[in-house]
Amino acid sequence: MKSLPSVVMIVLIMFCLAVIPAGAEQREDQFPDGGALNYGEYGRPATLDPITSNDMISLRITELIFNGLVGIDEKQEIIPELAERWEMEEDGKKYIFFLRQDVTWHPREGEDAMPFTADDVIFTYNIMMHPQTITPLKVRYEFIESVTKTDDYTVTFILKRPILNALAKFSFKVIPQHGPQNTEFLNREDPFVQSPIGTGPYLLKNITADREVILVANDNYFKGRPHIEKYIARPFADQNIMGQALMFNAIDMIVLVNHRDIPQIQGDKRFVMQPYNALSYSFFGFNQRNPLLADKRVRKAFSYAINRQEMLDSFFNSQGTIISGPFAPGSWAYNLDVQPLPYDPEKAEELLTEAGFARNGDGIMEKGGRKLSLTLKVPIAKESEAVKRVVLAFKNYLQKIGVEIEPEFQEWMSWKEDIFLHHDFDLMYASWVFDDSADISSLFHSAEIGAWKNNFGAFSNPDVDGLIVEAKLTLDHEKRRTINRKLHETIADENPYTFLWTLTNYAGYNKKLRKVAIHPYKFFSFADEWYIPKSEQR
Amino acid sequence: MKLSAVRPITTLVTRELGIAALLLLGVSFVVFVILYLSPGSPFASIVARIEMAAEPGAAASAPATWYSQYFIWLKNLLKGNLGNSLRTGLPVLQEVVRVGINTMYLTIGSLLVTLLIAVPIAVFSARRGMTPTGWLMTVFTYVVSALPVFWLGYIFIYISIHRFGLFPLAFGSNAGPWNWFYFMLPVLVLGISNGTVSEVVRYLREEMKRVFDEEYIVTARAKGASVWKHSFKEGFLIPITEIIAAKIPFILGGAVVVEQVFNWPGMGRMAWQAAQDRDYPLIMGITLVAAILVRMGSLLQRVVLIIVNPRASRE
Amino acid sequence: MRRFSQYAFEIGDVSHVSFWKKAGPMDRVYIGYGLLVVLLVIISYVLGATGTLPYDPQEIDLELIMAPPNTSGHLLGTDFMGRDMLSRLIISIQAYFLPGMLAIGIAIVFGTCFGVLAGYWGGALDIATTYISNLLNSFPRLVLILLMVAAFKPDIYYIMIIVGVTNIPVVASLIHSKIQFLKQKNFIEAATSLGLNNVAIIFKHILWHNCRSVLIIQATLGMAEAILMETSLSYLGFGVQEPTPSWGNMVQAGSNYFMQGKFWPSTAPALAILFTIMGFHLLGDGLNNMLERKGDR
Repeated sequence: MKSLPSVVMIVLIMFCLAVIPAGAEQREDQFPDGGALNYGEYGRPATLDPITSNDMISLRITELIFNGLVGIDEKQEIIPELAERWEMEEDGKKYIFFLRQDVTWHPREGEDAMPFTADDVIFTYNIMMHPQTITPLKVRYEFIESVTKTDDYTVTFILKRPILNALAKFSFKVIPQHGPQNTEFLNREDPFVQSPIGTGPYLLKNITADREVILVANDNYFKGRPHIEKYIARPFADQNIMGQALMFNAIDMIVLVNHRDIPQIQGDKRFVMQPYNALSYSFFGFNQRNPLLADKRVRKAFSYAINRQEMLDSFFNSQGTIISGPFAPGSWAYNLDVQPLPYDPEKAEELLTEAGFARNGDGIMEKGGRKLSLTLKVPIAKESEAVKRVVLAFKNYLQKIGVEIEPEFQEWMSWKEDIFLHHDFDLMYASWVFDDSADISSLFHSAEIGAWKNNFGAFSNPDVDGLIVEAKLTLDHEKRRTINRKLHETIADENPYTFLWTLTNYAGYNKKLRKVAIHPYKFFSFADEWYIPKSEQR
Repeated sequence: MKLSAVRPITTLVTRELGIAALLLLGVSFVVFVILYLSPGSPFASIVARIEMAAEPGAAASAPATWYSQYFIWLKNLLKGNLGNSLRTGLPVLQEVVRVGINTMYLTIGSLLVTLLIAVPIAVFSARRGMTPTGWLMTVFTYVVSALPVFWLGYIFIYISIHRFGLFPLAFGSNAGPWNWFYFMLPVLVLGISNGTVSEVVRYLREEMKRVFDEEYIVTARAKGASVWKHSFKEGFLIPITEIIAAKIPFILGGAVVVEQVFNWPGMGRMAWQAAQDRDYPLIMGITLVAAILVRMGSLLQRVVLIIVNPRASRE
Repeated sequence: MRRFSQYAFEIGDVSHVSFWKKAGPMDRVYIGYGLLVVLLVIISYVLGATGTLPYDPQEIDLELIMAPPNTSGHLLGTDFMGRDMLSRLIISIQAYFLPGMLAIGIAIVFGTCFGVLAGYWGGALDIATTYISNLLNSFPRLVLILLMVAAFKPDIYYIMIIVGVTNIPVVASLIHSKIQFLKQKNFIEAATSLGLNNVAIIFKHILWHNCRSVLIIQATLGMAEAILMETSLSYLGFGVQEPTPSWGNMVQAGSNYFMQGKFWPSTAPALAILFTIMGFHLLGDGLNNMLERKGDR
């Protein structure tokens, strides 16, 4: 009985091959096709297109449905994707992309597949930059001056000025011209955002009542049909239940395992835990509008007072790296010579004394009648045990050096207003995602102080301002590296944040999945090569 | 049903519908005011504000005044258009109806469970007085009414996994033979621990006792007629519909929690998300549908009351 | 207007009868247990307020996270930050005590006003209060609280204000039906003809003599509801926030480890909730039965 359907399948696939000779080539590797991957997500995706979406859940799904002009391989190097090759002219002010001619868009029901052309690239760019399109991508592409089509398979981008690592930015996902109903701009009311079509290895089949997103293999994928037949993104509303769902085979993969579940899953032979970098760092930010915190010594005292290693060990199973500055550790911009400040409460007290503070009757540090009694504002997430732990431990450490911290957990939106608009806080806790260009101007440049700007702590330092501008203007990679190292050093010394760590995330999955490689940010970049052995497909 | 009973019912229904419309107007207005007062200007596009994670300045200024926004919303409502969710862009009406059905299933199911537990206990203790068995059962209802609902949900899931090897995920794309069980579990949890079992028992018991003591029942009993038959309407039907009407808001609240625990795609879960996103068209839609459910419960109660006791319509 | 309320009452002026003698043996157990719980709550409150606790409830011990009961002096073990569970359980009552009183106060004060306005004077006032009561009844409670808390601040006082406000219709309808009953029995007419003024009739004869037991019962129920509501909100992330301990956020924090087979950290606060709420419910039920037994004389 079992052999019959597979025979039919093979015949069907061969039939497809015969019909579309260009697009669908069988993969060279001999791994089996078929099987389904159920993966658990904490929360539901809002939209499924690459332009209006802004949550990680959507981003992971768009990675499966769409392609960019260029892609990134497992060694973080740039590889051709929709563009076969490219040329750079005029000292990096002009990029010419030669597109693949064998790419087709996912067919809509009852329609034929349309070919991918240069028009789609220009369309995507125009939609992205239209003022009425609301997208987080816009700021990233302001460096582009214009796009022109040379012929159906050649596109030319003119840049406003040459920038470093421009090529990587052309990894934006391309959407089809015949996709959205509104051909000028894209908003969330367009049906396209819920039923997107792309060029990627998987096409959207349907969304179930529970907003489970079901994707099926694209037989005509230009890199060859992906091995796994079906991807199902299943939303969970409770992380504890999601962890159990993996343990009891209701799902096959969790893209981000909660740290408290790590020991349990790691100890189980049926599962693989694969680490990847979180690409974000956590920190406590100081509001320097508070005169007590305007003193560098006070800020540094806070960093000396806390035991980051102990927190990392107790709360995150030691899965992470303590950082000393705003760059990704291990990246070219990170200065390894700057050591994170060690845990040294005595030094911390010394610094506070130096800054003119002395303990009062209650044991709280005081200077000129003003107590070091500060509010710490933290946004609430439902699943926030780790955040609570860090905040409570922070309060505890600082209590020992005579600083009183009043943590205040706030709902996300009001937290954002307090931090970014009213600047009504002394300390805040948050995380930033690393920018791939290592550009920190929006965080620490003094021009970025103001309502709804990212320099919420009003950090201002002429040296830092100068270095930031210099780093932006230079095109020489080595020179930029030197500037960034200097920048790192100055910021670590000025201590506008108490930098904590960047965590190691874990994806947990069932052993039946093979050849799993994970992109740290986009996650599913290499998912077309994953496979499930025939015997374990159910 | 006697024909004479139909007319009061139609007048009642029309009157109740009128009142319901007025109430819904009030509900929507109150919610609108709350949203208006909340931080994060809900009437600017939510998408713009989510985007602020990347670029905080992008928050658009709120267009027009809040009351004109409310009138626009009302006008669209009359056309049957509740707008589109700011988060997903999907039409609110469609979305709310889709998840509302799941919530209704959960709510009605758990009401039935509550009644299945409470009614026998109430009847037993009303008829037999406070025997030790009756007392034990009553204490049991107090215990289950005082349990935190999500914690009970965890217990049920834990037992289901470790005892039966079943992972209770309803609404899966891979439905198995045990799917009915997965659907039953959340209904059971909400039915047991929505905090109303003991109240239902108590109320029903008191009402039944009261009716049993009324003269016409005592007379009936003396004549040897069935007490149950005579007391059914007043002592059983009316209190039950009253309870259903009064407890729907509570059960809808409990559903918010149960839906999260059991991954149930319902209205409560959507409300939780929407409240955080300030997705105001969706919030308005959800409160409206929830209020309609509540009003439907109270309409049912009134209708039953009229059928049982036509005099009441004149009150 | 007839509406479901938690208690059905036999009504009359019963102030001069000794209640305790009329209470049946079961009711005495109920009330006894309820009073015991109230006593324990008050003792815990005093212990917390004076700081007479086995450990400092805020003292963090990262070496001793999630310790099982009876480890190195922690009688009930420790929580996810290594803080002493027993001390936190005791001091938790502080999170509920005053806010719970506020909820009860709002429900009773406004509910009484509404009830008296509607019942005593009636007419347009009746219609208006009925509309407002119905309006408040039409909101799904938790959804409304969720909205308010998300919109403003996850503060226990905000939560309790809404619990109080949404309980107004219950109290109002109880008072209302009681006054209706008294009117039917010509009680008010008689009082007026005796030359009593409205204030005296309302406060002394209606509220004090006829409604105080209703109000006491509503108060016990209000406290129970406040605790359960906070627990649900804690699960959703919007209950009492750290570092302030509450039973709700303790159950929530402990239940993160429930699936891993560590039951104790959530069971201890859940049992505290269970016994306390049972106490309030039984107290209310016992009082009700006791008052009602008057009819059996």
